[in-house]
Amino acid sequence: MTNSVEELEDAACIMIIGSNTTASHPIVAMHIFRAKEKGAKIIVIDPRKTHIASYADLYLAEKSGTDVAIINGLLHIIIKEGWYDKQFVEERTEGFVELKTLLEEYPPARVAEITGVPEAQLRQAAEMFAKTKQSSIVYCMGITQHTVGVDNVLSLANLSMATGHIGKWASGVNPLRGQNNVQGSTDMAAIPNVLPGYQSLADDAVVSKFEAAWGVTLPRKPGLTLMEIMGAIGTGGIKALYVMGENPAVSDPDIQHVKKALEALELLIVQDIFPTETVALAHVVLPAVSFAERDGTFVTTDRRVQRIRKAIEPIGDTRPGWQIICDVAHAMGAGGFDFASPSEIFAEIASLVPLYAGISYERIAENGIQWPCPTKDAPSTVFLHKDRFSKGLGTFKPVAYKAPAELPDEEYPFILITGRDGFHFHTGSMTRRSKSLTAQINRCYVQIHPLDAKKLKIKAGQMIRLRSRRGAIEVEARITPIVQSGSVFVPFHFAETAANVLTNPALDPVVKIPEYKICAVKLEKAT
Amino acid sequence: MGSLREAIRKALTAGEVAGVVGLILEEGHPRPHLFTKEAIDELERLVVGDVRYPLAGVLLKIHRSDPEARLGIVARGCDERAVLELDRNEQLNGEGVVIFGIACTQEQANACQCAQPYPSSHLFGERAAPVSDSERFDRLESLSKEERFQYWMDQFGKCIKCYGCRNICPMCFCPDCVLEDNDLIKTGNIPPEVPIFHLVRAFHMAERCVDCGLCEEACPAGIPLRTLYKKMRNVVTTQFGFTPGITKEGKGPLQYLGDGEFGKQEGH
Repeated sequence: MTNSVEELEDAACIMIIGSNTTASHPIVAMHIFRAKEKGAKIIVIDPRKTHIASYADLYLAEKSGTDVAIINGLLHIIIKEGWYDKQFVEERTEGFVELKTLLEEYPPARVAEITGVPEAQLRQAAEMFAKTKQSSIVYCMGITQHTVGVDNVLSLANLSMATGHIGKWASGVNPLRGQNNVQGSTDMAAIPNVLPGYQSLADDAVVSKFEAAWGVTLPRKPGLTLMEIMGAIGTGGIKALYVMGENPAVSDPDIQHVKKALEALELLIVQDIFPTETVALAHVVLPAVSFAERDGTFVTTDRRVQRIRKAIEPIGDTRPGWQIICDVAHAMGAGGFDFASPSEIFAEIASLVPLYAGISYERIAENGIQWPCPTKDAPSTVFLHKDRFSKGLGTFKPVAYKAPAELPDEEYPFILITGRDGFHFHTGSMTRRSKSLTAQINRCYVQIHPLDAKKLKIKAGQMIRLRSRRGAIEVEARITPIVQSGSVFVPFHFAETAANVLTNPALDPVVKIPEYKICAVKLEKAT
Repeated sequence: MGSLREAIRKALTAGEVAGVVGLILEEGHPRPHLFTKEAIDELERLVVGDVRYPLAGVLLKIHRSDPEARLGIVARGCDERAVLELDRNEQLNGEGVVIFGIACTQEQANACQCAQPYPSSHLFGERAAPVSDSERFDRLESLSKEERFQYWMDQFGKCIKCYGCRNICPMCFCPDCVLEDNDLIKTGNIPPEVPIFHLVRAFHMAERCVDCGLCEEACPAGIPLRTLYKKMRNVVTTQFGFTPGITKEGKGPLQYLGDGEFGKQEGH
């Protein structure tokens, strides 16, 4: 997030796009509700009328996968009407002319046709967002899990820069991260083309710094992304895989294929706290500890590095992840990895990562610090991009609308959207072991629009076979106008009827994120 | 602070109480803790601050695990009221609980809009003036019936069914909770059935709610639960002449029903 979560309370207009906020980020939703209480206007853009959409001042029911067209359409209106922030564009950005040229192709009539959102609503949203003093964007996986995920994010950056709604208190672009420490994992370079702290693998000075600290020669070629790894098992040369706290046997798209790939490995090591579906395929299982059994840090979605402290001793033969990793490294004959505690590891991070350089266990003993924090006396950075962007001027990146990889056709006439149910988390490896959560819901379902249900003579509670080009699952029908006619929704938490049997492994060409949010399916009555 | 600490130390060392529930400062943050004679030095880290926890609920848990032990509690006005009501509902032996009272500051009383920001006697702080009016309560009362209805339907619709209100409530002592009864309230929906989920809880609070406001502080959807339960308190006060948490004597209205066992153990 460029802002902090609590700043959202002071926003005067919040555009929520591709985020089922109350289900996935209830605490963020709380701050949004507080903003609304104080008079903020809420715009929700989503193909489903989510819980928070029913509290929106303006809800735009877009067709799935048309975010770029919508944002370009809003920008077209904003610029035509002169509602953009001329001073901000002039002083802080570059490439505005190129953006304007592209936007010529997105007049309201065309955008309404692509997106299904009426022109009047586009105008209302454009005016509301642009003309309000403090507007903020909140987005989540509905933006990123597409073959145009990067384009979607760039569009939102264009919108925020053109309106000057960035780099200010309560005004910015705010992706909501999923897991409690996914920000920390990304910061520590769980991405194959950077070193910790987003330092480029292509930068000689950076690489020398790490080589000197670690006493090794680093490979200079970026590694593979998760989906590329799965593709490279077998023929691509990947023979062994070490999986930590991830359950790809349920969470990856087209899991029947993924399962075959995992089974083809010569060695699969899985480090987890529960016997997941991926653990079941492992040759070696390394039992790790839960959050309550370890010391360390978590980094929140708003870049806040926070201490966590052990509440109970590790149960059974489990051990903290850092100890397991260090021992595996030692067993492989690696030098270094001689840490006595997580604080020593953190000190190393601070010594090598400029964003973290000023953060220490002493400084975050009571309250966390938000990066960047370059020096020992630097304060928390509450919001990013004040006065200047990290690269200097912000560059507009005009992006054209592209259709999703797999759209409905005669054989597979419905769009399938996958996502969260409010009672479970991801593959359910944790939440489906909770009695109170499974008491709420413990089986998969499909949301079907009443018109489609009528047409196909489907009744609520009936078992439906959903079939895509990759496989089929049987789930219970829920009939609800939350989904649009022509679309269905399936939550992805239930391994026995996994939504990812159906999903399309088509990837964004840049960051290789799969298109979990759209594929084509057909509905059959299960007998 | 010294006299509070000394009183607890004395009671623990003399064996007058087996343990005292209060807040301990750990890594800069207060958390509930059972102070005992065996670890008497921990009293140095006893704190009284702005942070509130449902200490009477913590006390109840400890009492259930060791019913014979005589316990003490560092209690604000709201904590003492909760102890009193837990006793009336036969969950605690209130005579056996020793209150180490603390008075809230005027600032806290104002923030909580608390009508009784102090216990019956206190060892720490100064009695603040009671704050009897609630701005939101008065504003809602002034609305028309239709407007009020719409307001509450909107508020209940924000609920994400996290059960935070119930879990933090010092007065939610039932072993089986009707809010988890699939026959009464369908499971698996967010928001939970509007308005039955919230109204069932409101009725359960009618003769129990001690107006501590922790439910509202805990609610991630920002539903003004305390205002709702204040209304229930008012109704019970005017209709039955009973206000939870005020006097030790007497029964709550529901306690007159049936064989007197009603509400003692089972959810009602």
